[in-house]
Amino acid sequence: MMENQPRENTKENRSKIGHTIAKRIAVVTAVLAAILSVLMIANYIQTKSVDPLNSQAISQLMTKLSENPEDTVLIEQIRALDLLARKAYFTHQWQIRTGSYLLFAFVLICLLATKYMSSLEPRLPDLTKTPEREKDWESRLLSRKYFLYGGLGLVLLAFVLGILSQTELKKIGIVGPGKDRESSDFPSIKEIRNNWPGFRGPEGIGWAYHTDVPTEWDGPSGSKILWKTPIPHPGYNSPIVWGNRIFLSGADRRTQVVYAIDADSGDILWQAELNDVPGTPERRPQVTEDTGFAAPTMTTDGTRVFALFATGDIACFDFDGNRIWAKNLGVPENHYGHASSLITYQDLLLVQYDQNPGGRLLALRTRSGDLVYDQPREVEISWASPILVNTGNRPELILNSNPFVMSHDPRTGQELWRVRCMLGEIAPSPAYADGMVFVVNDYARLAAIKVGETAELVWEHIDDLSEVSSPLATMDYVFMAASYGTLSCFDRKTGERFWIEEFEEGFYSSPILVGNLVYLMDITGAMYVLKADKEFQLVSRNELGERAMTIPAFMHDRIYIRGFENLYCVGE
Amino acid sequence: MAFLLLSPIFLLSQVQERFPKPDFQSGYVRPDLLTPAPRAAVWEYLDIFVLVVALSLATYFAHKQRSRRNIFLLMVFSLIYFGFYRKGCVCSVGAVQNVSYALFNPAYIIPVSVIVFFVLPLVFTLFYGRTFCAAVCPLGAIQDAVVLKPVNVPQWLATLLGVFPYVYLGLAVLFAATGAGFIICQYDPFVGFFRFGADFNMVILGMSMLLLGTVVARPYCRYLCPLGVLLNWMSRISRRHVRITPDECNNCRLCEDSCPFGAIKKADEENQPIKREGDIRRLALILVLSPAIILGSGWIGSRLDVSLSRLHPSVSLAEEILLENSGERTEMTDATKAFRASGKLSEELFAEARSIQIQFRKGGWILGAFVGLVLFLKLIGLFVRQSQKEYDMDKGTCFSCGRCFAYCPYEQVRLGLMTPEELKELERREVRIKQFRA
Amino acid sequence: MNRIKRRDFFRNGFRAVLGLTFGGLAGILFRKSSAEEMVWQLDPNICIQCEKCAVNCVLPHSAVKCVHSYSMCGFCDLCSGYLQPGARSRDTGAESQLCPSGAIKRTYVEDPYFEYTIDEELCIGCGKCVKGCNSFGNGSLYLQVRHDRCLNCNQCSIARRCPSRAWKRVPASQPYILRGDESQRYLKG
Repeated sequence: MMENQPRENTKENRSKIGHTIAKRIAVVTAVLAAILSVLMIANYIQTKSVDPLNSQAISQLMTKLSENPEDTVLIEQIRALDLLARKAYFTHQWQIRTGSYLLFAFVLICLLATKYMSSLEPRLPDLTKTPEREKDWESRLLSRKYFLYGGLGLVLLAFVLGILSQTELKKIGIVGPGKDRESSDFPSIKEIRNNWPGFRGPEGIGWAYHTDVPTEWDGPSGSKILWKTPIPHPGYNSPIVWGNRIFLSGADRRTQVVYAIDADSGDILWQAELNDVPGTPERRPQVTEDTGFAAPTMTTDGTRVFALFATGDIACFDFDGNRIWAKNLGVPENHYGHASSLITYQDLLLVQYDQNPGGRLLALRTRSGDLVYDQPREVEISWASPILVNTGNRPELILNSNPFVMSHDPRTGQELWRVRCMLGEIAPSPAYADGMVFVVNDYARLAAIKVGETAELVWEHIDDLSEVSSPLATMDYVFMAASYGTLSCFDRKTGERFWIEEFEEGFYSSPILVGNLVYLMDITGAMYVLKADKEFQLVSRNELGERAMTIPAFMHDRIYIRGFENLYCVGE
Repeated sequence: MAFLLLSPIFLLSQVQERFPKPDFQSGYVRPDLLTPAPRAAVWEYLDIFVLVVALSLATYFAHKQRSRRNIFLLMVFSLIYFGFYRKGCVCSVGAVQNVSYALFNPAYIIPVSVIVFFVLPLVFTLFYGRTFCAAVCPLGAIQDAVVLKPVNVPQWLATLLGVFPYVYLGLAVLFAATGAGFIICQYDPFVGFFRFGADFNMVILGMSMLLLGTVVARPYCRYLCPLGVLLNWMSRISRRHVRITPDECNNCRLCEDSCPFGAIKKADEENQPIKREGDIRRLALILVLSPAIILGSGWIGSRLDVSLSRLHPSVSLAEEILLENSGERTEMTDATKAFRASGKLSEELFAEARSIQIQFRKGGWILGAFVGLVLFLKLIGLFVRQSQKEYDMDKGTCFSCGRCFAYCPYEQVRLGLMTPEELKELERREVRIKQFRA
Repeated sequence: MNRIKRRDFFRNGFRAVLGLTFGGLAGILFRKSSAEEMVWQLDPNICIQCEKCAVNCVLPHSAVKCVHSYSMCGFCDLCSGYLQPGARSRDTGAESQLCPSGAIKRTYVEDPYFEYTIDEELCIGCGKCVKGCNSFGNGSLYLQVRHDRCLNCNQCSIARRCPSRAWKRVPASQPYILRGDESQRYLKG
């Protein structure tokens, strides 16, 4: 017994000593680990704010160097700083690496020490305490309560999260992959002809299908003027109408705006500014006074309206003024300012983008703005607008430019035919009637082209040519108005000139066919109504009271005319 | 082409031979481009082999040898091999995601090792309990290694926190199946230590988790691990599960506080009622409400389709493009610039994003109903009580780590540290044992 | 006794069902599987050199490095991947170099050719040289994941954040997407 005691004592002592040592080691390593962690966090924060490899100081010196490339002192400075920066970076890397290994080592030792400590003090159950079993039911009840609350809380959180999230994707009618278009997404030819969706009316050929419009009115006195609304921002684009909404755009050096006006009351329903298009140029391009920043006429497909400006910004809005998409097509290189108007074909928005470097025909998907095709054209710059007609059994998009008048398949952009007959800076748009296309430019000719399987020049005329106003073709006649005030009438098939009349003021607007009458507005805003006949017969001359260069819009019972400042509604 | 005008860099990064390749006169030879190969396939098979051996050993140590020491040593080995050597990837916990991804995406080819890492632990657990958790899983090992002064987690908290692994599992499967990403990998707190490299936030999270682990034993395993859900189920119906006592239990209560994970079920006090007054009515109410709970949760889950689907890169890109198109955002991001320059149609992207959102709606229903079901079952569990005649572990949550073995006097007898007579002494008098060695 | 037997029966039943499920699942998966490991790689033709590869790797020193296709290189004196645009002179001065960590080494070969090699220990994978080379050169410099460094994480942190979605999983036997003559390496058997 006496022998056992010293052994036991030594064993106890040993474990006591062991315990103390282990405790000390554990504490020391824990403290070291803590300090190291703090150091590493500080290191991280420091390098986060100043990345050595993207140093501000060096880039500043580099800009100075680009001004004085031979400044040797500066060069030495940069090289020294660069060396320091690179060293700092790699030192930082080394610090992270070594720091983590060290930290790992400290934590490991600390753990081992603590484990050793706890192995020397085993855990014993405290049997003197009353058993906790009664509490079992109490704890269960408590659990139920907290669990219910917690569960409800979780569910509520999920509910709120779910309700609050909105997605943009649901707003757009998404078509499944593989489908090109929804057949209901664009209007029928009947709906197009029932409205005034673009420059020079449905199809762009200057034919009005609503013939029950007034023939007499007087702007200054207000007779037969239903309303007159001032348009804040100027623009030479013509009003377009769909249903009971009229759309216009206006722009100056600073702003681009699209307006929607109620056709019955003349109130501006909404105006949407287009000032933050991705890709829009910093500086507005140069344009001339008589073209302006909003020369292209808008177009609509019945559910959306599209506008193009001289900056190359093109945008799509719904009828309530919400912007659906907008992009920049690249600033057009155009010394007067881009003027070609927009037109739609089914689900495509077509843009004639003939500029100084060359011509292009773009097609964008109406609902998303995605580029569908970008067809290069071997032509020079043009300010004319396309027409979209069915020439027999296929739709053709016909564009007037120098030196060719060209026809494209609107679905693919492929060229169908071309005829070389134009010269100079082209502004008049084509006309079409019954298988014949008519194009004109001053110093070139008025050309009549028969289309079908092939396209051939049938007749031409070289006097009193138009340079801005687009010609009008009816089943029997061709009318051409010039900016110096003449209006000529030709036989459509033969080109024989029936008559030519001279007027006091010139014509920038184009003649429009309304039934068996022709409406033509001069630059003072006075509208001449004459019979479409072999002999010149003036029906009426109606003052507007304001200068105008736009194409009027003809709807049931009404004519909408945009002057330099106001939009007028003629009707009763 | 209009797009390329906007972003000339993208056009110009098309590879073009702008400068002719030189013909060297001086005899200069172009160096070879080195292409170091990744890990050879043979090491993959080694991983599988080590996994099988480790699982078998863990089971053997737990069931046959009942040696905590051996389990501990195996655990250290697994920590070193699967953790620090293999950098914790691929792990069995993450393999759940790979399997989900493979089941719903025919384009993904799942490596054989991943399948094995997924199936083997589940099969072993199905037969022998959660020996995987004890000694093979590196995430469990690193947490187990830092257990210092474990506290008891009150039951109500444990039940509530016990819902999170189910939610995590559901979300992980949903995100993996839709191709949105692997969130278990993204939010794994410990893999940063294994790799010696991680996002700063993940390092902080990992350290906090380990610090917490010194006090609350194995917090990730108990309240977050998604694989733990499956292992829990397997373990409950396992063919053979470790028991605290090698022989029989005499309710000496010496093992009561031996489990740092709170997995020991205590024997009933005498005359402990199985059910309480009024509980039957409450239980019936819950049962009647259960379809509402489950369907309601399912509905809420489906409403989360929009916010959850945003984790998917296609959906977030589509929304960015929409915001830019409509003018709400004026600056383009790298991603939208790259997309627009790629010439892909935005319509197709929108259609893809929409179909992913629809997948999330359907998946959300399932996730919601699943969580609803779990809440319902856990609530039932708080009303129904099984009578417990002796001290045994909760088969679902026990990790088979073997810490409790040495506390049992029958184990002491088996190890030869106590004689059967001494045991009888113990049984006769409830003597407090002063000291015994593990 | 009956109660225990019934419970055992259920448990055995469940176990059998689950065991079969796992077997079935494994079978389905094995059909979709390959013995080969899949590794991460980025497609240099989609890459837009946004510089995120340098920052997002879980490793402190990114596993993405610039590689050089010597077969495509023009060996130019005025190398747009090595020199800053508007560099004051064509030398190895720090003020002229594009590379922020000085990882590209320029050595004279013969008139007028220079060889450019990349020191992978210094390269951080930012892609500045790649941008320069692609814009004004032959495109012989490009970024690739180096598999002696890459840990092959289950979910690559860089892949997740790549704005142009240039990252994909490739089989371990063809772990690189190469340019130039080197791309033939994988086509030869």
